[in-house]
Amino acid sequence: MNKCKTIKRLLSSYLDKETNSEKTALVEIHVDSCLLCKEELLALQKIKYLVLSKEQRTLPQDYLVNRLREEILNQQYCETRPPWIVIMGNLSRMLIPLPGAVIVLSIIFLISISNQQVDKYSLEEHILSGTQTTTEIALGLILGS
Amino acid sequence: MNDDKLHIEQFLHGEEKGFEMLVGKYQNRVLNIVYSLVGKDNESEDISQDVFLKVYHGLKSFKQQSQFSTWLYRIVVNTTYDALRKRKKIIYDEEILTKSTDDRNDPKDILFIEERETIIKNALGKIPIKYRTALVLKDIEGLSYIEISRVLCCHIGTVESRIYRARQFLKKELFNISGELI
Repeated sequence: MNKCKTIKRLLSSYLDKETNSEKTALVEIHVDSCLLCKEELLALQKIKYLVLSKEQRTLPQDYLVNRLREEILNQQYCETRPPWIVIMGNLSRMLIPLPGAVIVLSIIFLISISNQQVDKYSLEEHILSGTQTTTEIALGLILGS
Repeated sequence: MNDDKLHIEQFLHGEEKGFEMLVGKYQNRVLNIVYSLVGKDNESEDISQDVFLKVYHGLKSFKQQSQFSTWLYRIVVNTTYDALRKRKKIIYDEEILTKSTDDRNDPKDILFIEERETIIKNALGKIPIKYRTALVLKDIEGLSYIEISRVLCCHIGTVESRIYRARQFLKKELFNISGELI
């Protein structure tokens, strides 16, 4: 069993023809007489075959060359453009969120103004109607009137 | 002087054609390694493009102490690892990818081959990336253990062990997915 363990470790490199003559002989003699190790070798052969027979990807002849040309030209343009264009580009990118922020702040401002007006008018209407305020009712209860 | 050296010399003397010849020669090999590690067509193309951009910018500093292919494969592996790190998780979706060969006419054959491809792809995707890289360089690219050790900058014993483990993982995964070795 111990020998099988040693041989099984060698089977993968034996399959890849990466074992020296001594180890190759060791594997071949053992596999001839050991059914378990023979099965393991066959399984590994099948796995190697499956990976080998995996379909290969191919690209059209000039496909990558054309993509690379474009990308290299882009990079060269970016490296050679004048610094003021870079600064302007960065500035414009920084200014993109500005209109959004202005709109949001304006909405918040309008909502707060309208709330204040509602409070003001409701208090004025209350006083004019002559009904007691909450403070007056509370004071009346405390003083027993 | 071999072809690669000739093309590198051409490029270093200002002829873009030299670089384009290198791209033409290696683009499918690079794509297949990246695809086997990443599992997605579009992303593989983008990573392959990044690889050749690095080659384009790095060729001037390539000292030619190792073979160009070894240097290139090292860039392939590192660029793919970076992309996977950015993505954080390796997604192996179930999409049936565009096939490069369409000389199979029998629908049953096509279905069987596509199904088998998907199973192998999914099983490969479950292998830890460092074991998978060694296996891909061996079985897809056909490099020797010594060449793989140069690409991955590790000991030849480590390569042997990673390939062994990758095959054990693959065997287990194939059994889990399809109940047999297809």
